[in-house]
Amino acid sequence: MQREVGTLPLAPALRARLAAAGFQTAQELLDTGPCGLSKEIGISREEALEALQVVRQECHGDAARTAGGSGAARKCTALELLEEEQTQGFIITFCSALDNILGGGVQLTKITEICGAPGVGKTQLCMQLAVDVQIPECFGGVAGEAVFIDTEGSFMVDRVVEIAAACVQHCHLIAEAQQEEDHRKALETFSLENILSHIYYFRCRDYTELLAQVYLLPEFLSEHSKVRLVVIDGIAFPFRHDFEDLSLRTRLLNGLAQQLIIIANDHKSAVVLTNQMTTRIGQSQSTLVPALGESWGHAATVRLIFHWDNCQRLATLYKSPSQKESTIAYHITSHGFRDVQPPAVTLSTEGTELNPRKRPRTEEEKQ
Amino acid sequence: MVVLRAGLCPGLTEDMIQLLRANGIRTVVDFVSSDLEDVAQKCSLSYKALVAVRRVLLAQFSAFPANGADLYEELKSSTAILPTGSPSLDQLLDSGLYTGEVTELMGAPGSGKTQVCLGIAASVSLGLKQHVLFLDSTGGFTASRLYQILRAQTEDEEEQARQGLGRLRLCFVLQLEALQRIQVVRVFNIYELLSALQELRDRLSQQVVSSTGPLKMVLLDSVSAVIYPLLGGRQSEGLALMMQLSRELKTLAREFSLAVVVTNQVTRDSSTGPLKPALGRSWSFVPSTRVLLESKEATWGKGTTQRAASLAKSPRQPTGIQVELDIG
Repeated sequence: MQREVGTLPLAPALRARLAAAGFQTAQELLDTGPCGLSKEIGISREEALEALQVVRQECHGDAARTAGGSGAARKCTALELLEEEQTQGFIITFCSALDNILGGGVQLTKITEICGAPGVGKTQLCMQLAVDVQIPECFGGVAGEAVFIDTEGSFMVDRVVEIAAACVQHCHLIAEAQQEEDHRKALETFSLENILSHIYYFRCRDYTELLAQVYLLPEFLSEHSKVRLVVIDGIAFPFRHDFEDLSLRTRLLNGLAQQLIIIANDHKSAVVLTNQMTTRIGQSQSTLVPALGESWGHAATVRLIFHWDNCQRLATLYKSPSQKESTIAYHITSHGFRDVQPPAVTLSTEGTELNPRKRPRTEEEKQ
Repeated sequence: MVVLRAGLCPGLTEDMIQLLRANGIRTVVDFVSSDLEDVAQKCSLSYKALVAVRRVLLAQFSAFPANGADLYEELKSSTAILPTGSPSLDQLLDSGLYTGEVTELMGAPGSGKTQVCLGIAASVSLGLKQHVLFLDSTGGFTASRLYQILRAQTEDEEEQARQGLGRLRLCFVLQLEALQRIQVVRVFNIYELLSALQELRDRLSQQVVSSTGPLKMVLLDSVSAVIYPLLGGRQSEGLALMMQLSRELKTLAREFSLAVVVTNQVTRDSSTGPLKPALGRSWSFVPSTRVLLESKEATWGKGTTQRAASLAKSPRQPTGIQVELDIG
């Protein structure tokens, strides 16, 4: 119980007064009592009572945890975490190359950041993920709902309808091919209206609204406990204008990042952010780097950078705690986010196998 | 700045305290630095009693000088050097991580700080069979990656051991035990971190031999994630909390002979300036050793697991030494 006064979560003005009065440990505070405390440092009795309650809660929390109680436990051994991770699902992106480099898909309980130049496909991927998170478990999804926070106004409902329709079609095909009971039952609830009704959309116009929304999100999530994905499309946009005080911006962004990681962890959901790119002018050349500065780079656990290579869209995994850096190509079709179709390899092999004395085989016979 | 209270030492009664306070003597420092004859006259207290109280207070609150030779003997018997699991990093750190000190790893995003921390945790838990406390403030701790690293390390060690199924089972059991010795606490703000450290201190001082055995290493990934939201703007409480944290870490390291490893970010002064460690000059005095991690290539698209580690601050080695690390 020898907790120093400086480490207790009290208001700074109160802490300054306590230090000036000579209090050093929490035990001394508790011994003094509210009347003595209010006389010594010149605050009202109610304030003294509140402060002592906070102190008592902290110290009891410590004592309970030392004695082996569970406490506010975010505490466990690595073995337990491993077991948890192995049973956790991923949110697939329908692009198998991207899923592979991510280690199975977008991970729950982590923050994934997608950076890219305009038009490269960040919002498309976000909309795809908002649909994919709702895929039922028997098809390999996590059967969750999605929260979409839009700051740029780029969320188009008709596009989501197209993507959702393609996803439902895909699941129907799988169900027909495999003919299992639970597939059919799951498909009854997995329809277009259901998908759209489980995407919760918020529109934030400036950074105050965004911060307020994120701070109110835990309450929303405790009411809607099936949410497994939080998308913030355009986290750079509200913070790149009207900010003279850059240190304030860093502080706000870091507070935001902390709040998001708490949300991701406590509600077991994936948080996906999209970021813009900015030019860093070097000595001899200029490079495109993600916006919002160096310190923001540490906020996300997984970072994907989307870029162009002539006419091909590429995705690079730039930062990940468990996967290696690699680059893959992807495609955006009318059905949504997809793999690049491999070039027609089968035709060329058929050509080399052709023996002029034999008649060419047709497709059905080959199967 | 300890306030004088009844019962602080025998002979210090409530009446004495009231009389002293009436004359402007509130804290121990005031008492000890005042002229006792003067005080005896003004407060009409006995001079002998005051001298006795002063002697007890000095004995209780002052620091005593220690002999350099005694300190050396104590260091020799209590300091341990923990291997980091990577021979090149050990070479950089003068054979490993020293207990009783705070070591800092800094680097840009994606430079491999979390990977090196996981490697250190795996090596200490597997190789030395000591317990490890991992404080995670970024959510970057991935148990499956840790398991991968442990598998790679056990395969190395058990090369010469028994063959066949027996060997595989042995490896598996060793890996499971190693995983159980690593405790992970997720702390997402400064107060949770301070609570966790306080709890660790209570546990170690009570010597509760529970599921956590002999703890030798504390890893904090990353310290800047918890401090950054408090710095900047106009408030100065962030610096105060940062100093509290640093004091807590250093006293834990020294008192209980732990090796403390923290990871830090790097920032730039302007968009073209050189990289420098985050958290400013005040924090730069806290770690005794600082290692900067960098990627070898500055372009994306070339997936490489090679990193360069250079020594930025060390009490034992010359700075500027660079080695190559493979975090694959």
